[in-house]
Parts: sequence; structure tokens; C-alpha cells
Amino acid sequence: MNELEVDPDQLREQVRDKYREVAVDPHRTFHFHVGRVNAARLGYETQAVDALPDRAVESFAGVGNPFSLRRLQPGERVVDVGAGAGFDSFVAADQVGDTGRVVGVDMTPEMLKKSRATADELGYAHVEFREGLAESLPVEDGWADAVISNGVINLCADKKAVFDEIRRVLKPGGWLQFADIANGRPVPPEALRDIDLWTG
Amino acid sequence: MLEDAGFVDVEIGDAIDTFGGATGEEKARAYEVYGYAFRARKL
Repeated sequence: MNELEVDPDQLREQVRDKYREVAVDPHRTFHFHVGRVNAARLGYETQAVDALPDRAVESFAGVGNPFSLRRLQPGERVVDVGAGAGFDSFVAADQVGDTGRVVGVDMTPEMLKKSRATADELGYAHVEFREGLAESLPVEDGWADAVISNGVINLCADKKAVFDEIRRVLKPGGWLQFADIANGRPVPPEALRDIDLWTG
Repeated sequence: MLEDAGFVDVEIGDAIDTFGGATGEEKARAYEVYGYAFRARKL
């Protein structure tokens, strides 16, 4: 193992297993909030959430609101890193409108199945979901006006690689707006090496 | 870390009690874990 606290591949597999459960069985109990209750707790606009079908919201496991510090502008091109079942991608799609584009990227097939089904149901031709990793986004250089993410980067072992990749896909002057968790007290080294604690 | 990665104009929102009332609350309290919104710009 290098300077990273955990093996990236092992962590990725555990994260994929956890969020597969969130995709297929969103009404069980997790160590975090999910669904419409979670969206309300995090201050999402009620009207935007109410307009979405359950499939788009029930597996939402975000930890904050990436739109709270900046609203996306009409026509912007957006990448959603770790899009899950697409909740934030659909909120973004409404903000950028038909002249914008949203590409949601996720590594969990069960999440992609839900997000793509919702895009079809809503008839959102300006939203697309691609399979990929935060460390190697399937997006061309300098494509995005904004990159959003919600509760994903903390689950990546190599955060520098993720931020480097986000910079690659952003245009100069582009915005990174994301939500994530941070700890106020230091976590002991032995806990950082305990992969089970990363995913709860 | 954001500035080290080449981002500027970094802004951080207020802390959000992300895990309050969830089963992960006790562990989150132990390390003062909260959610935050971040905004930054690529140079």
C-alpha cells in the first residue's frame, strides 16, 4: 500500500456493494438518511423534488446541497460525479434547461439502471448517464462549465486523483460545487485503515 | 486540499447535521462529522 490509508480497489468494491443496496432496497435502514426525507433535511427546493418520480429520489443519499452556494445557469454543461440514481443530475437538468447538458457518472450498474429509466420517463434528452469512476471520468477535457458531486469524494481513497480529474474536465473558470462530509476531530490512524469505517 | 489541487475562490457553507437522527449519528458525533457545501473555481 502506498501513502493512501486504504487500498483504492478494495474500498471501491465495498462502496459499490453498499450503494447497490441503496439502489435496490432503498427503504431499509442505513447509517445515513436517504430519499425525500433526506432531500428535505438538506434544504432542496420542495418544488424541484416533488416534480421527480420516486425512482429518482428514493436512493438519494447525499450529505449536503451542492446547489446551495451557486445555482447553475441556463445552458451550462454539467458533470455529476457519482450520480447515483440521478437525483442531483435531474435537479441540475432543471436548472440548466434544455439548452444545457448534464452527464451523470456512476460506477454502480443498479444505480445507472434507475437513473437511465428516470431520464427516459421524464423525456430528458439533455441528461445522459455514463458508467465510470471519479478518478477517470468518461468526459472530454475542458467540457464542463460546472462539476457537481454529493457525498462521493470522501469515499474515494485518492482524493487528489479525483480533484485532478475534475480539473481536467472543467473549462478554465469553471465551477466545482459539491457537498461532502468533514470531521472536526482527527480520526486515529488505525481507524483510517479500517475499511469498514469508510462505508459505515 | 482544493487550493493544492489548483482551485481558487474556495467557499465553504455552514455545517449541516447530516447524520442527526440516523443510525450513524453516534459515530458521527464521536469525530464531529458534518456535511458541508463547497464551491471553488478552476483558474
